Amino acid sequence: MNALFRLTVANLKSFVRDRAALFWTIAFPLIFVVVFGLIFTGNPVPTSYGFADLDGSQASSAVKSAFDSIDGVTLVDGSKDDLLAKMRQGDVSAVIVVPSGYGASVAGGGAPVTLTVYTDPSQSQADGRTRQLVGFVLGTINQAASGRPPAVVPAFEAIQTVQLSYLSYLIPSILGMSLMQGGIFAAIPLVADRQKLILKRLGATPLRRWQLVGSNVFVRLVIALAQTLIIVGVGTLLFGLETTGRWLGVGFFVILGSLTFIALGYVIASFTRTEEAANGITQAVQLPMLFLSGIFFPIATMGPVLQSVARLLPLTYLGDALRQVMVDGTPFAPLYVCVAVLLVWLAGCFAVSARFFRWQ
Amino acid sequence: MTTTSPVATGDVIRVDGLRKAFGDLVAVDGIGFEVRTGEVFGLLGPNGAGKTTTVEVLEGLQKPDAGSVTVLGVDVVRDPQLLKPRIGVSLQNAALYPKLTVIELLDLFATFYPKSRASDDLIQLMDLGEKRKARTQDLSGGQRQRLSVALALIGDPELVFLDEPTTGMDPAARRALWDIIANLRSEGRSVLLTTHYMDEAEILCDRIAIMDHGRFLELGTVTELVDRRFHERAVRFDAIAGLEDGRLSVMPGVSSMAREDGEIVLYSSDVPATIGAVLGAAEELGAEPGNLGVRRATLEDVFLALTGRTLRD
Repeated sequence: MNALFRLTVANLKSFVRDRAALFWTIAFPLIFVVVFGLIFTGNPVPTSYGFADLDGSQASSAVKSAFDSIDGVTLVDGSKDDLLAKMRQGDVSAVIVVPSGYGASVAGGGAPVTLTVYTDPSQSQADGRTRQLVGFVLGTINQAASGRPPAVVPAFEAIQTVQLSYLSYLIPSILGMSLMQGGIFAAIPLVADRQKLILKRLGATPLRRWQLVGSNVFVRLVIALAQTLIIVGVGTLLFGLETTGRWLGVGFFVILGSLTFIALGYVIASFTRTEEAANGITQAVQLPMLFLSGIFFPIATMGPVLQSVARLLPLTYLGDALRQVMVDGTPFAPLYVCVAVLLVWLAGCFAVSARFFRWQ
Repeated sequence: MTTTSPVATGDVIRVDGLRKAFGDLVAVDGIGFEVRTGEVFGLLGPNGAGKTTTVEVLEGLQKPDAGSVTVLGVDVVRDPQLLKPRIGVSLQNAALYPKLTVIELLDLFATFYPKSRASDDLIQLMDLGEKRKARTQDLSGGQRQRLSVALALIGDPELVFLDEPTTGMDPAARRALWDIIANLRSEGRSVLLTTHYMDEAEILCDRIAIMDHGRFLELGTVTELVDRRFHERAVRFDAIAGLEDGRLSVMPGVSSMAREDGEIVLYSSDVPATIGAVLGAAEELGAEPGNLGVRRATLEDVFLALTGRTLRD
């Protein structure tokens, strides 16, 4: 089909020569990946803990040196009250209190001794990190106290895995976001072409409408695959993203997701006359979807009302499916449910735009 | 559906009882006409007369509310796709892909048609050589118009529709396009063009339909139209204060009159008697008829007499 091929080439040329379109589809998601990548990899943020040693024994200084030896942790000595005051001012993120009699208790092997840790649960990230570090240190001490060699060496990498997995969580999300934006904006050139009577002019040639739409959709799929390559490539090469290598599955959901959002874009194009209006409505649809679909944070953290909204949105399932096939993310819904929801949206949007899209 | 060969004698366009309304606005109100093979046919009328709607129905771009439309033997309402490979179209105000170059756009359109002319021949024909690799968004209005005509010819059409083709062109480009249209006719192609330029219609068109408010007011060759209305000549002079219409219209030889831009036009079958009466009346008022002149009636006069307005209004 020579006409279809040439029209597709012409559309691609038009796209590549449109700097704004190029920025939003390629550079913008890339900036997302790089910024988030830099935030969530890199060295852990230095953490300082208050350390109140009420015991002053050899055992208690062993606890201190155990915390001290952790990269990125600084200990501040002082009395319990002073340190708690510092914590309230934000100078230290937690205070560890070793009770008097700690050394004797550990040596005696009697009832477990309590090591009190003051943390602020509202600072969830710091709080979680503190709890992990304390658990890790006490685990080491308990293990040493048992007098047996460690069966398993707990790795400090546990912390890094948490951070890497947030990046793993993010990359499929950024990809999902880009596919949604690329797809939903696909029909805007068509609205512009209609407004400028280009569609009418093409209507006076033997070119068929399906060729026009087919070319537009095909170009968008090419762009979507390019976006996927770039986002995943940068995530892998620069930030050590580990993927499952199930590229067939990734490709399947990239195409299915793109088609769904292209169809949604055609629905918007069916009910708008001007390019400006189409742009505005597209923004009004895509921005709330971005926040409500939970692609950037787990749906479980949302309130019940928002959760039920998120359960209806196609982006929720596209992000979830991409996460599952790309990085083995925890499923929100089984893959077949993701496929089914996306197909329902695709079919619905296709039917509506086939009925209401105007060519003139 | 049979597709008759238009090169054989006969009509390339047959329209009967065509009507098209947009909401309350009746754009085309029951027109009928034929365009013969190898003819340049002009639709002449002011803006909003219904010319563009008529042309778009013929091109298969609009569905008529009523009437039958046969173009190149194809029932356009039923089978517009059969027609499209065989016609060339230049729409009024239609933009083109702004990011593509002239040559890219022509090459692209060439692939839409079963047979096509060489893009570079058309670039040369339309004098776009310097703009061959310019993006269409960077073309001037006149250049864009020339490209639009080139695109109308790319599919080697039997019938060419040109909607206001010379709008925005400079005088040299207009005359060049007139030559091209005359050449299309000599190649045996048929042309339907709309215009609101009288001179263009007089020079180019074998036959003309004058259109206003969706209806045809007159249809025929330029000579027929002028003769049918006016056996008279037009006597013109600058308006004189105090010389009323009532007096002018009963002067000897005068059949009708019109005022236009501070000028009085008397259509007269007895020019010497009319001029004598004008001079006499002017002398009574102590004035002299400035810029007094006599000319043959033109299409402009036909239109003025039919509608009471000039075409450019």
